[in-house]
Amino acid sequence: MAKMVVLQQPTKQPSISLLPSSFSDFNGTKLCQIQYKRKVGKPKGALHVTASSTKKILIMGGTRFIGVFLSRLLVKEGHQVTLFTRGKAPITQQLPDESDSDYSDFKSQILHLKGDRKDFDFVKSSLSAEGYDVVYDINGREADEVEPILDALPNLEQFIYCSSAGVYLKSDLLPHCETDAVDPKSRHKGKLNTESLLESRGVNYTSIRPVYIYGPLNYNPVEEWFFHRLKAGRPIPIPNSGNQITQLGHVKDLATAFIKVLGNEKASKQVFNISGEKYVTFDGLAKACAKAGGFPEPEIVHYNPKDFDFGKKKAFPFRDQHFFASIEKAKHVLGWKPEFDLVEGLTDSYNLDFGRGTFRKEADFSTDDLILGKSLVLQA
Amino acid sequence: MAALASSSSSLLFSSPPSKLPSPSLPRLSFSTSSFLSSSSSSSSLSLSHSFNAYPISTRRYSASSFTVQASAADKKKVLIVNTNSGGHAVIGFYFAKELLASGHDVTIFTVGDEGSDKMKKPPFSRFSEIVSAGGKTVWGDPAEVGKVVAGATFDVVLDNNGKDLDTVRPVIDWAKSSGVKQFLFISSAGIYKPTDEPPHVEGDAVKADAGHVGVETYLAEVFSSWAVFRPQYMIGSGNNKDCEEWFFDRIVRNRPVPIPGSGMQLTNIAHVRDLSSMLTVAVEKPEAASGHIFNCVSDRAVTLDGMARLCAAAAGLPVEIVHYDPKAVGIDAKKAFPFRNMHFYAEPRAAKDILGWEGTTNLPEDLKERFEEYVKIGRDKKPMKFELDDKILESLKVPVAA
Repeated sequence: MAKMVVLQQPTKQPSISLLPSSFSDFNGTKLCQIQYKRKVGKPKGALHVTASSTKKILIMGGTRFIGVFLSRLLVKEGHQVTLFTRGKAPITQQLPDESDSDYSDFKSQILHLKGDRKDFDFVKSSLSAEGYDVVYDINGREADEVEPILDALPNLEQFIYCSSAGVYLKSDLLPHCETDAVDPKSRHKGKLNTESLLESRGVNYTSIRPVYIYGPLNYNPVEEWFFHRLKAGRPIPIPNSGNQITQLGHVKDLATAFIKVLGNEKASKQVFNISGEKYVTFDGLAKACAKAGGFPEPEIVHYNPKDFDFGKKKAFPFRDQHFFASIEKAKHVLGWKPEFDLVEGLTDSYNLDFGRGTFRKEADFSTDDLILGKSLVLQA
Repeated sequence: MAALASSSSSLLFSSPPSKLPSPSLPRLSFSTSSFLSSSSSSSSLSLSHSFNAYPISTRRYSASSFTVQASAADKKKVLIVNTNSGGHAVIGFYFAKELLASGHDVTIFTVGDEGSDKMKKPPFSRFSEIVSAGGKTVWGDPAEVGKVVAGATFDVVLDNNGKDLDTVRPVIDWAKSSGVKQFLFISSAGIYKPTDEPPHVEGDAVKADAGHVGVETYLAEVFSSWAVFRPQYMIGSGNNKDCEEWFFDRIVRNRPVPIPGSGMQLTNIAHVRDLSSMLTVAVEKPEAASGHIFNCVSDRAVTLDGMARLCAAAAGLPVEIVHYDPKAVGIDAKKAFPFRNMHFYAEPRAAKDILGWEGTTNLPEDLKERFEEYVKIGRDKKPMKFELDDKILESLKVPVAA
């Protein structure tokens, strides 16, 4: 038996918040899944899902960036995937390099559970009514958002959480490793609190800590910030020495990592840093973006941020410090490794997104002009 | 909705947090994340390895160095051709002692004369430790290695001396002709081409004209079982060249520490015991090591400013760091500062992946031990001149405490 009942969930229809009553009366939902035989003819390739049965999977979020790629991989693996979103963004979107038939296959299989995850009562009741084997929490920020999920699903097989390397305490010794001290005061303390909650609840969890994620559909202006300036033929203003070291991880590699931990005993109650194989200096990143987009080598202008008052605006998309994490644990324990190197990954992002004229944030060169004005650099 | 017991699925993941990976893997896995937050989190976890965890305030490392007594069948006869000075000299000293402790036969061949002044400095001044552990010490010219070792044969040779083919070729050729099975060479991570994408990883481009590269290439052509090790900087008792001492000298005298550039440059400073353990694993797993290059470094990088801070913390003293532009001041940073004025950062990925080696360097703790020795030998009281420092500080108009 290949799959459970799969609902058609076309995006144009008004979303139904719960599956039809006939389905939820299907008392044996969980029972059915447990009795599934091992799937015959597992797809080849890097995606080895060690758990044998098809799973009923809920993704919190999943319509914007990571989830777009992750949900496709999960559906391809034969799992039943539901996205929990408010429905503000389209549930699915066709990727630029995705064939019409692939897209319609995917679209016809993905399910939507419409709701606001901040409405904890709704989360608890709707999830408990559905019952899921695995939850991927891609957009959770605070521990209280996760509690109702755990309360609703006492038999949850695995809770897979997208945390952040931002939880690490700043250190003179790098790279950050999973065993390192974390910062309870960091901007990402909600992620930390969530990890603590997962540990204390005894649930089988896996926490993934990405560094900076990049790739097509990125809504955080990481590579986009450079591409805007390169396209405009503008100098790239980089704070201080430009030798600060950061690290980018391609979203597709991150999605693959999320698949690797699914049903994986070795990932049980473990934390993994997931990012690129190599790190990069700020100056180096500017050059890599130029290469990726086929632009000439950029003019880089260094400045002292203390000389300026940018108000609320961010003059540069990265933390002005070294920030990178070791992925050796994931490589050794999961057998995962990134497929994209930096220039390849940035090229992928450029070709499938910015290079086609799409981006999330309009260019805003106001902070650049402040910097360049003071530095008396002539613009092209 | 029926909440089923589904005990079968929960059993799948009932493994306790301390579970290590399958026994066939020699390396450790990080079994649980440890939250060392200062808040009263009730969920503080402990690393439940059976290995030592360094109980440091800010981080924990899992240590894994262990020595295994060589059985008679595994006992190797090892020749170490050792330089008579410089930052690498101490490697041979630790390696000799570790091999001897593991039951191997060791001869350490130091370049030059036994009576030379160079032999009065550490680690040579402590060679009695090698002898009392059963090792042999000889001196001479590596170009005549066969003569110097008086016809003895060896299973393994480590060349921890030559920086170019002219110096090492005679040793390699002799080793091959006399039936040496495994040849190890101490190269240098300094041969990596500078990169925008650190760290330096084995396989990355190297400077073709570097002397060490000539040796590495020749060795690979000529020997079947070879391994190359590329170190950076090291600390450890018996070091022939100053490393942390440079910082201690200034910190204990309440002098500012002048660091070129931004101070954000990353470097790699390992305890020499890590280099020795990596070499030892290669000797004990020759098939695994064969044909590979290994970055012989610790598994953490440190910034130059960070090193100053860690030295100060180890000394229990404050530190004032002053940055300067060597060109603007008109001094040669190579003379004024012990580390390269750029990112110089390699990671020991091949050693971890291929040899199952784990680093144990713990700079915060190791530097404490180094500082204790620094004081014990009275170096903190030694009168010193800081001419280059003074020149730098003068140009920056930084006052120095009397």
